[in-house]
Amino acid sequence: METKSVEKKIKVMIAIPGLDSHWRGAMVIAKQLVKRGMEVVYLGNRFPEEIVSACVQEDPNVLGLSFHSDSYRKLIPEIIKGLRENNLNPVLVVGGSIPKRDYPFLKEVGVHEVFGPGTSFDYIAKRIRELVVPSRMK
Amino acid sequence: MEKIKTAKERWMKNFKNSKKRKEFFYTLSGIKLKPLYTPDDVSGDYLEKLGFSGEIPYTRGIYPTMYLGKFWTIRQLAGFGGAEDTASRLKFLIEKGVTGLNITFDYPTLRGFDSDDPRSAGEVGIGGVAIDILDDMEELFKDIPIGRITVSLVACNPVACAAPIYSMYVLTAMKKGVDLSKLDGTIQNDFLMETLVTHAPRMFSPQYSFKVECDIVEYASKNTPKWHGISFVGYNIREAGANAIQECGIVFAHAIAVIEELLERGLKLEEFVPNLSFFFCSHNDFFEEIAKFRAARRVWYKILRERFEAAEKLCRLKFHVQTSGASLRAQEPLNNIVRAAYQALSAVLGGCQSLHVCAFDEPFSIPTETSALVALRTQQILQRETNIPNVIDPLGGSYFVEWLTDEMEERIFDYIEKIESRGGIVKCVEIGWLHRELLNSAMEYEEKVESGEIKLVGEEDEQDIEIFHPPDILEEQKMKLGEFRKRRDPHKLNESVSRLKNACREGENVIPFVMDCLRAKATIGEIVSAFEEVFGTWKPRV
Repeated sequence: METKSVEKKIKVMIAIPGLDSHWRGAMVIAKQLVKRGMEVVYLGNRFPEEIVSACVQEDPNVLGLSFHSDSYRKLIPEIIKGLRENNLNPVLVVGGSIPKRDYPFLKEVGVHEVFGPGTSFDYIAKRIRELVVPSRMK
Repeated sequence: MEKIKTAKERWMKNFKNSKKRKEFFYTLSGIKLKPLYTPDDVSGDYLEKLGFSGEIPYTRGIYPTMYLGKFWTIRQLAGFGGAEDTASRLKFLIEKGVTGLNITFDYPTLRGFDSDDPRSAGEVGIGGVAIDILDDMEELFKDIPIGRITVSLVACNPVACAAPIYSMYVLTAMKKGVDLSKLDGTIQNDFLMETLVTHAPRMFSPQYSFKVECDIVEYASKNTPKWHGISFVGYNIREAGANAIQECGIVFAHAIAVIEELLERGLKLEEFVPNLSFFFCSHNDFFEEIAKFRAARRVWYKILRERFEAAEKLCRLKFHVQTSGASLRAQEPLNNIVRAAYQALSAVLGGCQSLHVCAFDEPFSIPTETSALVALRTQQILQRETNIPNVIDPLGGSYFVEWLTDEMEERIFDYIEKIESRGGIVKCVEIGWLHRELLNSAMEYEEKVESGEIKLVGEEDEQDIEIFHPPDILEEQKMKLGEFRKRRDPHKLNESVSRLKNACREGENVIPFVMDCLRAKATIGEIVSAFEEVFGTWKPRV
């Protein structure tokens, strides 16, 4: 367990899983979270097992995944399975062009929050802070 | 002029004392606008700067008749599922009146993975058509008259996709008995797509990607002389965050590098310059986009004429335009029909040669038949109902548009200079400078949206639109590939693949070797793995 220091920065890892090539959103979010005082590890485009092994190495508080294709149906469960196998339980947030009707599916498989198109950076940062605090208290 | 000046000063005083929405207004790329334009805002000689359509410097259009002779080509994108699924969408579009085809490929195909590769999981046939083997390509075009309708293949990554896809297309055309000297169409084939604009877990280096890109242009200019072996991509650069000036500056710096490389390889300008084509974005800033298209023609003319001393007729900038997908919103998606229509109008007033209008459901999925039809109809309304195409370059002579065209031209040349002073386009990708440029522009835009400086329309999504789900073809494609692999001669296959690797090592033009591999029944995945073995992979510095 890490020390519960208030000053400690929230560590966010951001990745674009699979072959999806869009990186603008993920990169902009990464920069914006840094501006808002978080530590960001930007992984870029990676296959699921690479994302899991990066989490093993970096142990982030938050894993942020970006999708612009509906491969999330297949890849998110795969990533979550890999995390659990390694006893990792970061706050899992997803962003990108995901239709609202798929949000329940994502929540069901274990995603904590989905940030749809047009979500403000301030709101994203605020939600991440809310989600991280209780999990650190555990 | 003196009279106008005095009157203008009087007007300005009045204007300054009046209440305005904002003190200053800027274009999307940051050009500060004046409130009103008058004759003293445009300078220079009419014939030198504008002239006539089909005549230098081509500001007013590259053909004498422009749309009075022939409308722009309606080239709507299509691609999903397997070859058969996409072929049926193509037939639907042809039946409804498209005049050109525009094929998109799924991520595994774009990145050089076979459908049955575990790394392709979740993506097979989703964002475009899945093509693994020559048989797929033959099936896709079985009933399409490719000798009559021009085809654009959005195979962007030179190493991972364009080399095998172009080769497959040529072999398919040969099999269909199409005369290669008449084969007309375009392959995107842009190394910036492989290294800068789109990122992937497996990327090839700018150096090799640029090399293979030039191989394709060289091969195409010699063997399929009407085919455009490259479509310099401004569109996706723009979508990744660049502004209109960067979009053009990057594209032209790239084109200069290709010309220099092919001259180095011993080709003559007239052998390959007609095979170069361009692809731009039409975004929200209506007049800036029109000025951009007009300025781009003049910039290209000057580059070819002044730098390369090309013949006048070679200096015509042929370009395709796509309306901006990134400008479309998930909130109230039907509004996207209006956005795309304005953007299409910019493209037409800018004198494009062909046009794709994005479907309104673009933020969610590839288009349904309904949304694809609305996009196609948007173009047909422009062509048939508005009377807009009946006068050439109708905005020519507008004080504002001419002023903005001059501004764009100057700034585009400055940006080209910025790239060249850093060692040219390939170098700027290698060192990550261009990645940072795009990211900074994207950040700037998003921050303006967040702060409310740029205001976008549409609230939380209440409209429940239909979302297209491509058919799941993975199992079918896996079986097809399994059968295919059994039917081939492994010895012949290995021979051809090792000859390809050898050609890569020796720096030869790879295209004839890729074609041999395909004849020996290699899959795209196997060909690209051969490239990977010799070229290695690369990670961008971001």
